[in-house]
Amino acid sequence: MLRITEIGESFRIAIAALRLNLLRSILTTGGVVVGVVLVVVMGWTIKGLDAVWEQTIGIIGRDMLYIDKWDWTGGRNWRKIEARKNITLQQALLLKERMETADLTIPIARKWGGAVSFGNKQVMCAVQGTTYEYGQTPAGITTDGRWFTEIEDAHSQRCVVIGYGIDKTLFPEGGAVGKTLKVHGIPFRIIGVIEKRGFLFMDFIDNQVFIPLATFQSAYGFYDRSFSVAIKAGNERLLDIVRDEAVGHMREIRNTPPGEDDDFAVNEMQAFDQQVTTIRAVIWLVGIGLTILAFIVGSIGIMNIMFVSVTERTKEIGIRKAIGARRSSVLTQFLIESSALCMIGAIIALPISQVIVGAARWILMGPMEYDWVGVVSPFIPVDLLIIAIGVSIIVGLLAGFFPARRAASLDPVDALRFE
Amino acid sequence: MMQPIIDIRNIAKIYEMGGEDVHALHDVSLTIGSNEYIALMGPSGSGKSTLMNMLGCLDTPTSGTYLFKGENVSDMTDDELAEIRNREIGFVFQTFNLLPRATARENVELPLVYAGVKRTERDTRATNALESVGLADRMDHRPNELSGGQRQRVAIARALVTRPSIILADEPTGNLDTKTGQDIMALFGELWKAGNTVILVTHEEDIARHARRIVRLRDGRIESDAPNN
Repeated sequence: MLRITEIGESFRIAIAALRLNLLRSILTTGGVVVGVVLVVVMGWTIKGLDAVWEQTIGIIGRDMLYIDKWDWTGGRNWRKIEARKNITLQQALLLKERMETADLTIPIARKWGGAVSFGNKQVMCAVQGTTYEYGQTPAGITTDGRWFTEIEDAHSQRCVVIGYGIDKTLFPEGGAVGKTLKVHGIPFRIIGVIEKRGFLFMDFIDNQVFIPLATFQSAYGFYDRSFSVAIKAGNERLLDIVRDEAVGHMREIRNTPPGEDDDFAVNEMQAFDQQVTTIRAVIWLVGIGLTILAFIVGSIGIMNIMFVSVTERTKEIGIRKAIGARRSSVLTQFLIESSALCMIGAIIALPISQVIVGAARWILMGPMEYDWVGVVSPFIPVDLLIIAIGVSIIVGLLAGFFPARRAASLDPVDALRFE
Repeated sequence: MMQPIIDIRNIAKIYEMGGEDVHALHDVSLTIGSNEYIALMGPSGSGKSTLMNMLGCLDTPTSGTYLFKGENVSDMTDDELAEIRNREIGFVFQTFNLLPRATARENVELPLVYAGVKRTERDTRATNALESVGLADRMDHRPNELSGGQRQRVAIARALVTRPSIILADEPTGNLDTKTGQDIMALFGELWKAGNTVILVTHEEDIARHARRIVRLRDGRIESDAPNN
């Protein structure tokens, strides 16, 4: 049985022994330092990725689906998709009329590569024509001003709601609402600014302007234009029911023969979940592989230095045994020493990880002008910190086992004679 | 007669060295009672070191029995031997064998650590032990800050602190000058008078003279065992 007094003594000895060979101790922990840095930085990356992805989905809305001609995820048969007939305004309106389970069904017309200008500044952006109801979706929340009303919509008023990116570019000093903007040379009154929504790979979302559908028609026409229909289920759990209903109506509206594939796409943010999962898995696999490698190298180094330490202190072990140290006492003493060694590695690794995390965050996010605070943490996650320290202690115990066992089984007579 | 502390019956120790058996001890029997002051003497190779290791429970005999206060030590496990050493035996070595990085007090406390004694009691007992060997003012010094005589006093305090049944001193004056050696021997004399059982292992007649009984070994056997007058 190990006595509590001995554990205290073991810590004291371990710290004294490590301090005596401070430089050697620090150099030995190199592998552990690399391993811990890898674990922590990888964990932070995955957490950041998840956070960004959650935020992105949250902005589009987990309960949203979009009926489009094109699949967001691409793939499949490109020619076949190309050959699909456009979704006309009439079809979109029919769907809106027939949908019963959805909260909102909103037709959207898009023009890519539009240009908006204010004074002598001009921005390329997408122009979207939609209804007043779009303002009730998560994607239409305004920070300044408001969305257009049903009446403005019905009377094809020249009013525009601008994205965060456009606002920042054209009105860096703020005060956009009330000013007049030119969309393709036609003056529009700005009535609202949408809150920031763009992310890492989706910042184009902030470079859009929204005008009433009827206004869009008079400006660009509806000829040869495929509409999108945004459907808000109201609740993520209703998504399957709403999707089934929408698909049923669309097939009927577009006269899709039974047995044929849908000739339209149902797009959801969740479609990207799989890709994010794959990216996450790859980061994990690569990270874990490198970490294991680093810990193996680290533990060999520690095992080696612990054997040296046992040999150097053979006499000390003999003295301790002579005055009553049992095998377990000596074993514990050296195991504590090797795990303390690894903990030193973990402690060295933490500020290094923090610097890497800080730098990575600054490099990735600094130039984007967006306020990322709250989405991706600038700090090492606490749970990873605990895991990293725990793993390094376990590595220390494993690496220290054979040297400690050698020390514990030394014959006291031989050990005392050792010079 | 009271039960002896040490009762060795017909023990032998055989080492294997380079494929050959070396008989370090042949059929040795020895009884040591409480509060004896005994010297084990013999030239090198006589087996006195082997016998000392055996008496100190650092080693076990190849054959024969060793009863320590009636307990059979011959077939104890390493850990049981460690406990006996911790509880019953105080070692004093020729080369002091103090831990160089620990202070005098920490060195003296060490056996108590392995005995599971709490810190406050350890402190008190270590302080008392160091005071009893005349080192009250050197407690927080490390061995390299102490003279040879002082180091040996620390070692004696460490041997005393667990209040062992025997004090086993292996050439305790071997690394000391004559004067200091005499001081140390005087200290052993006092310890004996205070009721301790002292076993000296030495090859010096001058040192052995302090003991009340002298056991002489030669070629692994007891040559003579007589009171010292």
